[in-house]
Parts: sequence; C-alpha cells; structure tokens
Amino acid sequence: MTGFAREHLRPLLGSAGLHLLLIAVIGGMALRWTGPQPPVQLAIEGVVVDARDLPKSVRSGRALEEPRLERAPEAPPAAPVADSKARARAAAEAAARAEAERERARELEARKEAAALERRKEEQAAAERKKQAADEARRQAEVEAERKKAAAVEAQRQKEAEARAAQDAKARAAREADLKRRLAAEEEEGAARSGVKDEYRALLVQAIERNWIRPPSARAGLTCTLYVNQAMGGTVVDVKLGPCNGDEAVRESIVNAVYRASPLPAPSDPRAFERRLEIVFRPTE
Amino acid sequence: MQIPGVTGRRVLAQLLVLVASLAAMAAPARAQLRLDITEGVQDAVPVAVVPFGGQAEGGSTDVAAVVAGDLRLSGRFAPLDRQDMVTRPTSGGEIRFEDWRLLKSDYLVVGSVDGGGTAVAFELFNVQTGQQLLAERIPASGHDLRSVAHHISDLVFERLTGIPGAFSTRIAYVTVEGKAPARRHRLVVADADGFNPRTVAESGDPLMSPAWSPDGQSLAYVSFEGRSSAIFVQRLATGERRRVSARAGINGAPAFSPDGTRLALTLSRDGNLDIYVLELSTQALTRITTDDAIDTEAAWTPDGKTLYFTSDRAGSAQVYRVNLAEPAGVQRVTYTNGYNARPRLSPDGTALAMVTLDRGYRIGLMDLKTRNLRVLTTGSQDESPSFAPNGAVIIYASEDRGPGSLAMVSSDGRYQERLSSSRGDVREPAWSPYPTR
Repeated sequence: MTGFAREHLRPLLGSAGLHLLLIAVIGGMALRWTGPQPPVQLAIEGVVVDARDLPKSVRSGRALEEPRLERAPEAPPAAPVADSKARARAAAEAAARAEAERERARELEARKEAAALERRKEEQAAAERKKQAADEARRQAEVEAERKKAAAVEAQRQKEAEARAAQDAKARAAREADLKRRLAAEEEEGAARSGVKDEYRALLVQAIERNWIRPPSARAGLTCTLYVNQAMGGTVVDVKLGPCNGDEAVRESIVNAVYRASPLPAPSDPRAFERRLEIVFRPTE
Repeated sequence: MQIPGVTGRRVLAQLLVLVASLAAMAAPARAQLRLDITEGVQDAVPVAVVPFGGQAEGGSTDVAAVVAGDLRLSGRFAPLDRQDMVTRPTSGGEIRFEDWRLLKSDYLVVGSVDGGGTAVAFELFNVQTGQQLLAERIPASGHDLRSVAHHISDLVFERLTGIPGAFSTRIAYVTVEGKAPARRHRLVVADADGFNPRTVAESGDPLMSPAWSPDGQSLAYVSFEGRSSAIFVQRLATGERRRVSARAGINGAPAFSPDGTRLALTLSRDGNLDIYVLELSTQALTRITTDDAIDTEAAWTPDGKTLYFTSDRAGSAQVYRVNLAEPAGVQRVTYTNGYNARPRLSPDGTALAMVTLDRGYRIGLMDLKTRNLRVLTTGSQDESPSFAPNGAVIIYASEDRGPGSLAMVSSDGRYQERLSSSRGDVREPAWSPYPTR
C-alpha cells in the first residue's frame, strides 16, 4: 500500500489539484449565477466541514486554500452564455449550486437538530442530576430512617431479650425450685412408700406366721420357698412350691399357711400392693 | 411352593408361643415382694373326720369317732365337732371344699363301711388345695372296726406329719383297787387310746414295773407275790409266763435289750441296789454298777451298748450312764434340778425323758446333744414316763387329782391330755413298740 502510494503520489496530487481548481472555478460561477447568498460565515463553516471530509494529504496541501477560493461567488457571475453549451453548463452549475444549497440546509437542519438534541440532552442530564440528587437525598433520608428504625428495633429487641432473659431466669429458678421441691417430696413419699411397703411386708408376715401350724419336722435349717399369686383383694389365687428341703408335712403346712391366711392383708397405701409374693420359710429353732 | 412358607411361619408362631410360655413359666422367679417366715404357731391342725357312710348312728364302732379321737389324742390335730359339720360327704365326689374352708378345716377325712362290714374305704383331702392325699380300702374281716379305725388314724397321721402313727399300739399299766386286805393289783394292757383294757396279771400283792419286749409279744414285770419280789416274762397271746429272776433281796426294774435277748434289772443281792444284765437264754448275769449308792431303773440305748440309770451316788437321785463295754466309766448325765430319775430313751435315742423335780415332780425331756432339760408337764406328782414308739408322745402317770391316772404329753410339750378311761389308781404306764406284722 505504501509502495503504491509513494509511486503514485505525484500524479495523484496533480490530478487532485486540477480537479479542485476546476471545481473552484465552476463553483464560483455557479454561486455568482444563483441570486441571494447565504451568510458568508455560514459558507465558511461549510467549507470547514468539507475540509474535514477531505483526505489528509489534501488538507495538509493546497486544500487549505480552497476556502479562500470559494469566496469567489462575491465576484460577478460570468457573462451569460449565449450558446446551448454554455447554457447547459450554467444549468449544471445551477443544479450543483442548488444541490449544495440543499445540502447546506440539511446540514443546518441537522446542526440545529443536533444542537436541540444536545440541549435536550443537557437539560435531561441536568434533570437527571437533579433527580439523582433528590433520589440520593431521599435514599439517604430513607437509609437514615431505616437506620433509626433498625436502631429502635434493635433497642426494642435488646430490651425484649433482656426482659425475656430475666423472665427465663426467673422461670428457670422457679422450675428448679419446683424440681427440688418435687424431688424432696418424692424422696419423702418414697420413704413413706418404703415405710408403707415395710409395714405391708410385716402385715403379710404376721398373717402367714399366725396361720403356719409348724409341724415338729420344721426345724432350724429348713428352707422352703413359695411363689404366691394374690388377687387385688388379697385372695390367694395360687401357691407354687419352690425349692424346699422339708418333708411332706412341712410342704403341706406352708402351702396351707398361705391359703389359711387368705385373704391376705392389704397395704395401707394401695400402691404398695404386690400381686406376686416370694415367701421363704426359714424357721429358727 | 406355598406350603413350605406357611409351614415355616407356623413353626415360627409355635416357637413364639413356646418362648412366651417359657417366659410365663419363669415368672415365679421374678416375684415382687419377698417375705421371710421364721415362726409358726404350735396349734393343732384343724381336721374334719366326717361320720362314715354305712354306719348307723349309735350302732357298732363309730369309725370316724375313733379316728377323730386318735388324732385328738396325738395332740397334733384338732378334729372338728360333728355338730359343726354342714354337710356329711362320705366320698370325695360329694365334697364341697368351700364349706370346709369356711369351717377352717385344713384336712378332711371321709369314708364308708361296706354293707357287710367287710371293708372300710376312706379318703383324705387337703381342703385348701382340694388335693386327694390318701384313698384306701382296708379289709375289715377278721378285725374289729376299732382296730381298722386305728389303722386309718395311723395312715392319716403319717401322711400329714411324716411320722408313723402309734394308734395301733398298746399301753401296759398297773392298777390298784380296793383297800388292804382286799386290795387288787392288776397288770392291764389296753389300746393306745385307753380302750379295750385287758387284765393280763392280777395279784393281791404288788405288781410293778411292766416292760415290753421289743417284739411287743411279751411283758416283763415285777411281782411281789409270795411276799418276795420276782421278775416274770409273760407272753401276752398265751398268758404263759416265766420267772426270770427271783434272787435274794430286791428283783426290780426290768428292761429288755433292743434285741430282746437280755434284760437289764436291779438286784440287791450284793448288799445294795445295783444294775445287772441278764442273758435270758442262758441266765448268765453280769453286774454293771458297783457303787455303794442305789443304782436302778436302767434303760437301753437303741444300739444296746449303753444303759442310762438312776443313782443317788451324788447324794440325790440323778441320771447316769454306763457303757456296757467299760462298766467302770460311769458318767453323770443330769446336773440341773435336785432330783432326776427314771430315765427313758426316745425311740431314736436322741432324747431322754425323766422325772425331774421342778416345783413338783414333773416329766422332763433332755436333748442328749445339747444336754438341755425341758420340763414338759405341769403336775406335782407326775411319774413313770414312757415314749410312744413314734417318739411323738410320752405317756405318764399322774397323781395330781387324787389317785393315779394316765396322761399324755407331746414330746414337744405342746399338748397334754389326761386319759379319761383309766379307772382307779393307775401307775407305771409302758407304751408298746410297734406291733410286728
């Protein structure tokens, strides 16, 4: 590419220059031909816009002089062309001029629009900023309110937690006290119950001893076990002989002792009642 | 294909049932409340002997009455009064046990006599459990109903106490009636309950110290007929008697050795009273004691090796013993109380009954193992103790209410009973051994 550019630079530049010269001349004539002129400053501006569209090489070269050349429309239009050739040329020039004029109008319109757009944008941005600021303020207020609320809630929570803790502690203390009291009561009742049980046992032993007609063969060293089932009222339901080293008379006598004692005495506290009894006969001499 | 599964499930179910029932069987081991019984009462066991069927009221021997009497006399049983009997079953099927439980009887005897009196059937029940304990039919032909009744008593007693009954045994004793010179001395043998007294010897002169031969067939006794003492052995079945000792002075206190071949006796032929042993078949006499004091009233231990006797060698009457193999080694047995005499060994040889002075002459029983002497009776003139062959009862003579009468005390002292049927002045009872069958 660069090789190509360097090789053809001179002819290119030459051709471009010639073209520009031509355009400038034709343009100058056309401007003179068309009546009222737009404000010069605007034309100059238009040239500036054009220049920006030119290739760089052109801008740096003779192109900079072109605006000056375009001031030519101030010069009087070329003498009317009598012949058709001249008229065609003038028509073309006029068309070009009209085209340029339209172009410039569009340009202007676009610029106006752009400016309006810019202005709207700025207004919008300002509004935006204002709105943002307001939003920010509101947000901060909200945050602040939130913070305050949270703090209040936290404080409330804290207070409640404290209250609850206090309540819990009180309840726990009460519970512990209650438990202790119940334990003590249970202990007491347990003792009472074991007292009842001892008493019950004594009642049963007495009832059976009173009814045991001890045969002479029931001497010290005798050990006989009976398994007894009694009903709730103390009625002896059945008697089973367990291990026994006594003779038949002894066995009969101990079984009969239990039946004779039926109904067996009841405990003072019904909870001490035991359905099953294991009775060991172990007489002392 | 289904069947094995079903069978398997059924087997499993059966196993579960088995396990459950095993658990149930093991249940008694988990009894809740444990009781320890260390004492009992000494009461007589309440028993009801219902009048036997086939017997007219007031007719022949009332079997039930005899049985009840025997049981009462043993001291171990308290027969229910007949008037308290609500029903009178005569066989097991007729019994309503609740009735008898209400009457507080522990045992029940029912029975009946065959129409012809050829047999007596009876049953014994535990009222509390309803269990039949005995059911027997006893041929009565050739026996009087009374002896059949005693036999029933023996069976019932043994079943309920574990001790053989002694109701078919007899007692011998001496009675004295009238005033001199018409005074009559009689040697009497009666049933153990005092019934059927029969005089086996009679004399105007004193008869003393009857002693049974171990086979229960003969009695040895002292007779003063002819003004001097002599020892006779008389066979009860025939009345035939033999004079075995008529030595100069006193011939007294005969006692058969357990094997029946020898007689321990007291003789004064060597100056004072001493114990001798007489070989009955050979008349060989062995002097056992040689002390200057009075030694008398010998009693044999069951093994026949030792004699217990009374001696006043220490100043008052006390009981001593001597081993026949070493007569020099006489040992004093009693120390408590100022007077202990007339020792008699229990049939099992573990205890010694005697007359002891304890606020009166009373029957005491010494445990030979502990040497503890227990006074069993409460009289002031109780004498001549003699054990029943089962050792459960001691018969003795008492003069507490006028002339002597017979009384019994159970060897544990629980029960005393005076024999009402004894007549006149009754002395020196001797209880027979078990009859040989």
